[in-house]
Amino acid sequence: MLSQQILNGLVSGSVYALFSLGFTLIFGVQKLLNFAHGATFMAGAFIAYYCTISGLPFVMAIGFSMLATGLIAILIDLIAFRTLRKRGNAEFPALVSSIGVDLILVSIAQQVSNTQVLNFPFGTFPIQFYDVFGLRISLLQIVILATVAVLVAALIFYLKKTTFGRQVRAVATNERAAALLGVNAQSVYLQTFFIAGALAGLAGVLIGLLFNSIQFMMGEPYMLRAFVVVVIGGLGSVQGAIVASLLLGVTQSLAVAYLPSGLTDAIIFGLLFLVLLVRPNGLFGDINAVAGGTRQ
Amino acid sequence: MIQMYYAYQPIIDFFLLSVGFGYSQQIALRAGVFSIGTAGFAALGSYCVAILATKTGVPIFLTVILGTVLAAAVGGLLALPLARLRGAFQAIATLAFVQIILSLLLYGEGFTGGALGIVGIPREVNTWILLIMVGLIMYVMWNIGRSGMGRVFNALRQEESVASSLGVNIGKYHIIAFIISGAIAGLFGGLQSLYTFQIEPHNYGFHFIVNMLTIVILGGRTTLLGPIMGALIMAILPEIARPLAENRQAVNGVILILVITFLPNGVGDEIVFWFRRRKQARQQQKRASDKEGNDAVTSS
Repeated sequence: MLSQQILNGLVSGSVYALFSLGFTLIFGVQKLLNFAHGATFMAGAFIAYYCTISGLPFVMAIGFSMLATGLIAILIDLIAFRTLRKRGNAEFPALVSSIGVDLILVSIAQQVSNTQVLNFPFGTFPIQFYDVFGLRISLLQIVILATVAVLVAALIFYLKKTTFGRQVRAVATNERAAALLGVNAQSVYLQTFFIAGALAGLAGVLIGLLFNSIQFMMGEPYMLRAFVVVVIGGLGSVQGAIVASLLLGVTQSLAVAYLPSGLTDAIIFGLLFLVLLVRPNGLFGDINAVAGGTRQ
Repeated sequence: MIQMYYAYQPIIDFFLLSVGFGYSQQIALRAGVFSIGTAGFAALGSYCVAILATKTGVPIFLTVILGTVLAAAVGGLLALPLARLRGAFQAIATLAFVQIILSLLLYGEGFTGGALGIVGIPREVNTWILLIMVGLIMYVMWNIGRSGMGRVFNALRQEESVASSLGVNIGKYHIIAFIISGAIAGLFGGLQSLYTFQIEPHNYGFHFIVNMLTIVILGGRTTLLGPIMGALIMAILPEIARPLAENRQAVNGVILILVITFLPNGVGDEIVFWFRRRKQARQQQKRASDKEGNDAVTSS
């Protein structure tokens, strides 16, 4: 029973990781909090749903929705962030403009879906269960764990080993210095936004499958969790975000299973509070990194 | 005039409450504290008032004072551990505080009514009381801005290391900012529960936080006019966009993006800055012309 709960926690934690990675990537590179990330996630689930309904094979629907959410994220950067960034001191203004984008996307989704909860048609994904060492694991869970593992590995490889990754990290450290060395910061921003959007879109599809429900407000609770994950892991730290997501997923499923149900949130956020008191920069945060956000 | 007042009374009251909460949010940001605890303080204040007013015979004005004191005290206590954190980490820690308060309110069903909240709170607050309270808070904020404390807050916001090198006790002023923010939010939380006669934990959730941040950032983070302009825009926008029916939210979003892109300091701050710049330019011109006159006199 305990190990079953841990397994379920790992599965939901790995989806949190997918969602939070984009969020932390944007924060790490731009030092901006993107409140529209939850709406991007929701858009991913919606696009995949309408593609499946209109008869596209499911795998293609997923690919198409990742592409589309990547492009949506690029649009968000162009519309809401670029002009503010050019002027400098964008932390607070960017908060409001991304809230604006969030309102627009949520309102579109609300009208498209007529405020209803959508479900993927039965049989979109084969329902199969396996018994592994006494654990009951579904095909979907296996696929989710494998997909997330592969994507996370690819992302880390991309950031650490390729020229693009080095450019991203250079811009994250110091945009001006990177620009002087010939890095095109604007293109780095667009690429990080595309990756973040595509990951969020995939997370949306996976969550939509896992709980078999898609609705226009589904992004909000995940935004709240992404904040928790990203801060516990250390803002801008990819490894930290992954570890923190898995921790959050497992803690949550254990708290739901073994503790009074009304107290789950109190316990999770109490833990978050404690982590911050012991490690003010998160578990993997850089001591020297100044997490901006209060400068005028 | 009276007709117009009756037609728009709910909007006016909503606007006044938002201005109050906006000042609570602003004073924290103004001191360089990225706190979003206003929602939690407001919840404490409103539940304190609601519980005392419905279950005990404590006089109403006393319940409001108790709610304010409670929220201020919790703000002070919260500030002790949070003084170590900065920026987004501080924001998330206060978000955690809000979530803990909300889930405790949901959990303590016997005491707080759980998800249904508390109903039947006596309706003792009207527009005039709200107006007087907003005026009072504005007076307090104005005085803070003019005093040494306001200057310390400005210094902390702009460059903390400079402030500390000039002998400012950062921790102390962060605690003061938290206490003021808590007191204002607690006061208006209490007023809100006496105004709406029904409260539930959901009122103080993520939406509340996002709204308050929007009001302050859209209006302006440093001037007295800021939260007023922000609350005004947020109160009037839905009314203007009413004919658009379902597209209302989307239009709100578009307007938020446009306003903040062209006035990144916030509407209220930009107005105040514009007047200040004009005044300065005039003084400079005057000084220059005075000097010219003097030169002419001496040279002749």
